[in-house]
Amino acid sequence: MSSLATLQRDFMDALFDIGQPSGPGMAVYRRNVQSNLHDALVATYPVVRRLVGESFFREAARRYSRESPSRSGDLTEYGAQFAAFLASYPHARALPYLADVARLEWACHECLHAADAGALDFAALGRVGAKRHGDIRFQLHPAVRLVRSPHPIGAIRAANLSGGDASVSEAGPDHLVVARSGGEVRVASVDAREWDFLAALARGAAFEEASAAYGAEDGAALTGALARAVESGVIAAFALAEARA
Amino acid sequence: MRPAGALDRRSVGIGLRAPHYGALVEQQPKLGFLEAHSENFFGAGGPALAWLERFRADYALSLHGVGLSLGSADPLDERHLGKLDALVKRIEPALVSEHLCWSSIGERHANDLLPLPFTREALDHVVARIDATQERLGRRILVENVSSYFAFDVSTVPEWEFIAEAAKRSGCGVLLDVNNIHVNAANHGFDPYAYLDAIDPASVGEYHLAGFEVADGCLIDTHGSRVDDAVWSLYAAAVERIGARPTLVEWDCDLPALDVLLGEAATARSILAGSSRANAGAEAIA
Repeated sequence: MSSLATLQRDFMDALFDIGQPSGPGMAVYRRNVQSNLHDALVATYPVVRRLVGESFFREAARRYSRESPSRSGDLTEYGAQFAAFLASYPHARALPYLADVARLEWACHECLHAADAGALDFAALGRVGAKRHGDIRFQLHPAVRLVRSPHPIGAIRAANLSGGDASVSEAGPDHLVVARSGGEVRVASVDAREWDFLAALARGAAFEEASAAYGAEDGAALTGALARAVESGVIAAFALAEARA
Repeated sequence: MRPAGALDRRSVGIGLRAPHYGALVEQQPKLGFLEAHSENFFGAGGPALAWLERFRADYALSLHGVGLSLGSADPLDERHLGKLDALVKRIEPALVSEHLCWSSIGERHANDLLPLPFTREALDHVVARIDATQERLGRRILVENVSSYFAFDVSTVPEWEFIAEAAKRSGCGVLLDVNNIHVNAANHGFDPYAYLDAIDPASVGEYHLAGFEVADGCLIDTHGSRVDDAVWSLYAAAVERIGARPTLVEWDCDLPALDVLLGEAATARSILAGSSRANAGAEAIA
């Protein structure tokens, strides 16, 4: 290893308290680094922070920075494993919904930075013959994320973002659609079969198969679910699957 | 109209920060350019990029990277460079800059601007990395001197020789952060004016100005206050010795109202306008 690499490894270890070499000024770097990583998590996980309080959050962020080091020069990418970290964090056991709230917040974070897409081409969709409707593969907007939990995480997020009571009396489960509208992230609650239908589309299922996931016998309700997804921009494009043999 | 091409030598800009977006759109202040942190716009889409393109319609932009880790002994991060390249092609900024530092090793990132040892080995390494970056982006970049709170015993040359040599050998420009020179002069005990004398005027493409704080007997480059009087004096000396160059006022922590930044920018403008070398020529900086 080059002496530059060795020097940098020693310095990095000292930054995270792992190694010995220290000296005047190292404390400044330790503080800067810890505060940059902490602030990045605060920006992405405001609800988790409000639920646990700042001193709990700060300690969790410090431990997370050691267990899941930042892997990118772009801090936007930092914090992807925070939900998994919280799920196995012994101090968070009293809050069984905490990891799922974090999962929802990461989904919102990804949604905000995901690619843009044009609107659904209705004219082209109208030209698809009725016999091929089952072969249509609706594609979700690249910013859409689907999250579900046995806990009422959507209500918990909404209550905490509006400064309301941190404890929510509603029961789960929650089936949520995270989407971007007018440059802002919106979290909508849907019922379980509508969520299953959208999840099938997200997996690339053709309409016929996704309908089965919904429960195809209820045609009117399915049409309603499809219309909502199209109107809200959750569905942004479509393609035709290969014709069945 | 989308401003094109190079900046005038007497352009003064401010750092583009999200809390000021609304005020900038409303007031439309006259500014030479806006400088954005490149990584804040690395996303594939969404509102951040939409805002940047909106400002690009009215202002010249400078892209200032904080995460490339130019001085790291790790291989250059091709994914990061690819995102920077795509952003540069999309925005067509007047200036692209990075820092003469390292931020990562063993694929672990500190997401901070860490100091390099000023050795022959580090110099050879960073010159090759600047070369590779300029090659990848197909353009010259500016490289900024960083503030530091730690000095390595193994360093063999002073900081000013290191950055001057890096610019000379790689052909990159120097983004001279006047506040960082002041901070390092105080922290490491050297003459900040001697630093200015060591820098080839032809290499300097931009100045940075910002505020610092004092903590633990150390000056810390926090970008959280007004530019200090000593830094204004050093800046005026730099403009005299080196010449007028596009100048940026940066503010990151405890962001004040936009008007406070515009006031600092006006001070910089008056120093640029009053200097003899500034008046001698108004050629543009590529």
